[in-house]
Amino acid sequence: MSETQYGRGDEPPSSPFLNDHRLKIIGITASVLFTLAVVGFLGVILYTQVNPSRFVNIIHPQFIDAFLVVLRIVAISSVLSVIGGVLVGLGRISETLPTRGIAKGYIEFFRGTPLLFQLIVIYSGIPAFWPPGQFPIANFSVPAAIIGLTLNHSAYIGEAIRGGVEAVPDGQMEAARSLGMSYAQAMREVVLPQAWRNALAAIGNDQVILVKDTSLLSVLAVPEIISTVQNINSATFDIWTPILWAAILYLAITVPLGKFVRYLEARADPTGGPR
Amino acid sequence: MSTRPLVEYESVDKYFGETHVLREVDLAVEEQEVVVVVGPSGSGKSTLLRCANRLEEIQGGEIRIAGDPISGPDASVNRLRQQVGMVFQSFNLFPHMTATENVAVGPRKVKGVPESEATERADDLLDRVGLGDQTESYPAELSGGQQQRVAIARALAMDPHVMLFDEVTSALDPELVGEVLGVMKDLATEGMTMLTVTHEMGFAREVGDRIVLMSDGEVIEQGPPESFFEAPETERGERFLERLL
Repeated sequence: MSETQYGRGDEPPSSPFLNDHRLKIIGITASVLFTLAVVGFLGVILYTQVNPSRFVNIIHPQFIDAFLVVLRIVAISSVLSVIGGVLVGLGRISETLPTRGIAKGYIEFFRGTPLLFQLIVIYSGIPAFWPPGQFPIANFSVPAAIIGLTLNHSAYIGEAIRGGVEAVPDGQMEAARSLGMSYAQAMREVVLPQAWRNALAAIGNDQVILVKDTSLLSVLAVPEIISTVQNINSATFDIWTPILWAAILYLAITVPLGKFVRYLEARADPTGGPR
Repeated sequence: MSTRPLVEYESVDKYFGETHVLREVDLAVEEQEVVVVVGPSGSGKSTLLRCANRLEEIQGGEIRIAGDPISGPDASVNRLRQQVGMVFQSFNLFPHMTATENVAVGPRKVKGVPESEATERADDLLDRVGLGDQTESYPAELSGGQQQRVAIARALAMDPHVMLFDEVTSALDPELVGEVLGVMKDLATEGMTMLTVTHEMGFAREVGDRIVLMSDGEVIEQGPPESFFEAPETERGERFLERLL
């Protein structure tokens, strides 16, 4: 830009606040300090609070059970919410007014009210359609949890899909229709594969949140991870040992999930990644 | 007249809201004829093309392809579009498909051609536009000129009666224009019926059988390239040519 103003080896006048070099130093310092703080904090807790023998002992059997329950609920709700989300997203971009309106209302409601509220409404609301004592499902807490998580996350995924479709240039639909494809064919063959790629990061994000949302299921008396922490805490007066396990178990689901989403992104990228 | 024109516009009116973009346009394209539409920006050239495969709907008049009206109770838009190949300024290749898949997808999905047959035919077409060695490439790996040639092959794969070219070289770097025009010239030589909008006057003059000048949604004049470029009949034609020099 202004190379001629400075001789060889002259430093350009540094800005009073930030330049690239200073920014780099600040970045490194901040990350090192942050890492030290976290490692120190965890180290002190592990060293002073966590009883190593109990840490190993309490894993069985309560945490294993809780982990498996959560895993099952996540697996089912995850698949159902992606399917539901695609339907909501397609409804949201529909050219038919009632379909679009209903999809919009659905999203507004399930995104606009707390998941906790939705879980309670489903858990106590659905059995209310049967005469007292006649509701056929003996233990409704896990089914209610799956219904609640699915309905809630379908709304978010629906929005992600809508954004993904809108990011596909209009010319793609025009080109597909110009070949004689019907609207449905053009959507299926041309627009949705690209929309899916566009929406994947947001969908993956939502699925990680879904995993963590299982911590709310204790209100439905689902024996999930956080309620197990509380059980062990009240039995042993030890909070740190079970909470450490809880962190490990959540990460054991969310980290592989994140990796899986990145794999899908790479696969959906036409010019790179495995195919 | 022994045969009917392949494409006929009969007093076609088209509005975008209040704007009258096509004003009672009459135009006929004979079989195997190459008609080149020229004119200033905003004169309705692209709209004229887009009406022929109903990417835009007309509000008045009638358009007929091979004698059949394209809109109306008996018309099927998907069948119409199989007969009319369209190539766009911005290529609009499908980015998640290879060159071969781009060309094969129309016949496969619309006509139900088996995949192996469609793929073989696609590779032949890519070879014909000089891309026999790029069949497995994705659009992002191809230059603009190569992408546009794939787009031409994609349109040809449906065996259309007529090809519409909508400013297909306007988005290309100058050094890539020639390869696309070359493919179009070959097509014209082979007898393809073409309705072309372009700013490439060299191509219009050399390949066009007839030049149509549009301005403000009207056909101002039309005629063979020699007479249009040497001695335009109208004052607006003269002004248009002057601005080109």
